Parts: sequence; C-alpha cells; structure tokens
Amino acid sequence: MLLSSETMDVSFVRKVEALSGTSVRRCFQCGKCSAGCPMATFMEHPPNRVVRLLQLGQWQRILAGRSIWYCASCETCSTRCPNKVHLSSIMDALRKLSWDDEGPSKESYVQLANKLFLQNIRTYGRQYELRLAAVFNVKSGQFLKDLMLGPKLITKGKLKMFHKKNKNMTEIEKIFSRIDEMRKNGEAL
Amino acid sequence: MTPRNILRYAYYPGCSLHASAGEYDLSTRELFKKLNIGLTEVPDWFCCGATPAHNVDELLSLSLCAKNLELAARVGGDLAVACAACFSRLKTTQHVLSESDVKRQQVEKAIDAPVPLNGNVKHLLDILARDLGLERLGQAVTKPLFGLKVACYYGCLLTRPPEVPNLDCVEAPTIMEDVLRAIGAETVAWSHRLECCGANFTLSRPGVVLQLSHAILDSAKAAGADCIMVACPLCHGNLDIRQKEIEGVYSTHYAMPVFYITQLVGLAAGLKADKLGLDALIVNPMPLLKEKGLL
Repeated sequence: MLLSSETMDVSFVRKVEALSGTSVRRCFQCGKCSAGCPMATFMEHPPNRVVRLLQLGQWQRILAGRSIWYCASCETCSTRCPNKVHLSSIMDALRKLSWDDEGPSKESYVQLANKLFLQNIRTYGRQYELRLAAVFNVKSGQFLKDLMLGPKLITKGKLKMFHKKNKNMTEIEKIFSRIDEMRKNGEAL
Repeated sequence: MTPRNILRYAYYPGCSLHASAGEYDLSTRELFKKLNIGLTEVPDWFCCGATPAHNVDELLSLSLCAKNLELAARVGGDLAVACAACFSRLKTTQHVLSESDVKRQQVEKAIDAPVPLNGNVKHLLDILARDLGLERLGQAVTKPLFGLKVACYYGCLLTRPPEVPNLDCVEAPTIMEDVLRAIGAETVAWSHRLECCGANFTLSRPGVVLQLSHAILDSAKAAGADCIMVACPLCHGNLDIRQKEIEGVYSTHYAMPVFYITQLVGLAAGLKADKLGLDALIVNPMPLLKEKGLL
C-alpha cells in the first residue's frame, strides 16, 4: 500500500491526540522509543513508526496490525522521548479506539485476555486467577496451555480453587453502569 | 501529628497478593509486625484494573483506582501498596485527575464521591527506605545477609514514567540496593534491572515472557548473582514460575531463586522461613540459603 492523500485521515489522529493528551506533531523521529522498546521485535510497526503513520494520517495500517496489542505499557518510550511525546498514552488511546469499534486487528489473544480480566472485575470485584486462566484456555482453544504449571501452583497454594466475592459488589456494578450511561449520553468517551 | 517513631498505614495488597503471591502478603505482614509498623488492610478493596483496564478503557481504570483511593481514605493515613502495578495505577490516577478537571469530574460522577487526591500512596520500598529509614532498618537486623549476592530487579513500573511514581531516579535508581546494603547483603551491577519481564503477556502470549525473562535471568547470572530480588508479583511470577520453562526452551540452567524484598529483609530481621512463605517459591531457595548459612 502506497501512502496517498486518499488514505490520509487526520480527524482520527485528532481524536487520538485528544484522548492521550499528547501531540504526535512533536515527534521528529529520533527513534529512541523503538531503541528502548522491549516489545519492538514483536511488532510490525515499531513505536516510532506508529507515530510516523499517525503524523501521516495512516491510522488504518496501525489498527490492522498487532503492534498496539503487543505494547507492554512498560513506559520506557514515554520516559526517554526528548520531545515529551507520551507514546504509552497514544498506545492506550489507539487500543481504546480500536477496542470500541471492534477494530480489524488480528491480535485476538491479548484482546481476549483483556476482556476476561475486565469481566472478572465486574463479576468478582477482584481477579479470580484460576478462572481467568481456565476461561482463557477454553475460549482461545488452547486447552493444554500451561497445564503442567497447574498442579505445582495449586500445591504451592498459588492458585486458589475458590474465590470469595467482595461484599460490596453493588458498588462496583454501579461504577460500571454509570460509566455505560455516561457514554450513552455522550458525556464521556 | 503522629510521632515519627510510630508508623501506621492503610494497606492495599492487590489481587495477586491474595492468590498467586500469597507469600508476598504473608512476608509483608510479618515483617511489618516485626518492625512495629502498623498495617490496616483497606476493607473490601477492588481490583485496580491493572494493565488491561487502562489499555482499553481509561475512564474505567481511573474510576476503579479512584474508588480504591476513596476506600483507603476511610481507613486514614498513608496508603501502603505492595504490588508495583497497583502502585503505578493508583499514583497515575492521582496524577491524571489532578491535571485534568474534565476527567476528575467524569470519575467523580462514576464513583459518586469526591476523589481524595492528596493522600500519599507509597510503595513498601519507600516505607522501608525512607519512612522507617535505612538506619533504623539496619538496627532491626539480627542476621545480616553477609555473602549473599543479589541482583535487584526494578522492572518497569516502580520508576517509570518519571512524572508519576517519584520513588527514585528513573533510569538509575538505587533504592533497592540501599535497602539490601542496610541489611548486609551484596548487590551486583547488572544490565537488565529496569527491563520489562513481559508482564501480563504471561496469560495471552507466554512466548513473549519467555524471551524477555530469559534475557533478564541471563544477565543476572552473568553478573554473578546468587538470586534476584523483586517488588512486584507479576515480575516474580514471570521470573520464578516460568523459570523452569525458560531453562527448557533455551537449554540453559539457572536455579536462580527469586525473592520478594520483604522475604529478604524479613530473613535479616530474624524471621523464620515459615513466616516468610519461602516454601511457596517455585525455584527452591533453601540450598542457597543453607550454603550461605542464612537459615
């Protein structure tokens, strides 16, 4: 795919900038973010190229790939940027926009893990690790994943079979539903 | 004002400490009891949302943390946090909400309460090194860890990004080394102490964790460390629980015990192995501790 004015969409980039509170125009492509990024080897677009593509309005290319889902949020890029581009916030914004639109990314495992993690909070208040791992394995079709670790973790008391729900579950449900409502009324992104 | 020699905190353990990192919780409580530092667990705290929440839903992440800050404020006092990720999320929430009125109003609407933004959120490291102080920590030592060479592993979120945790220098912190020297241990200089371990990819893409944690273990071994010390349950899970798997995949051998900071400080303060949950570690630390005469 060649860069062209037809694929250039700046309005999306403005949204990313608003959500992340940082400007992509400050970046002069020094590449320090990618040099320090522990996950760059797993990405088709390393961090500095993600910003370059945003500068050129080519956001579809970013969302179609898996780069944003392979960011570990280690904050190395934001720490080292000489121009104070807060790249980890840009990554958060890109993931949110992709997530809300159920974007085209092929990276489904990370998204599945995120989804189950958030569901766990709404259902239990805290993480129920055994259930998180078990449901992930079932839903991702990897029934045998980390199976060998299971017995060891259980005998060491690291995986609790049963989980006690918080007593104040109504409060957490209220937080989730108030946020849903604010979004429905257009009061929040 | 509370006198300086009486330390008391609200305590936010976080999800892992009630499950896969039970030994971190146990050793924290026992150590703080030994050091006469009061800990009151925040009743009915919620998950902070960790990485998945801020990854896809900032408002939810901020609201969950704000709710926890509000619950903690009811207990009173500074908030002690054990997990580096919870610590980072709670501090980030305070930072973001004090910078943006719009976000603060949205969050206050979501939790239906004002967010206490001025309370101090402190990692255990900060409490040990600064509130208690290295001098008093040194006085509490009954069994100095002489001869134990430790690689201090900070990981990502204890120091980064620079404007949030304010725990120590962002690229060259020394707070862990300071604590260890105060209890008589040796620390090694090594390259990977601030590198990422792969964090929560342990669930979704464990291959990432194997690669990144392998580099960390390799670096610690090359520096001549006997063991690694961490202050985060996720780092611990990746370096300890997955160590055997890493050895298999990369055809190498480490047998490198990974301790929580409270376990090593507790050991120096004279606590017994069963009070520190040493038996819960996957890589058995007993041979090393026996060899060094620390049991």
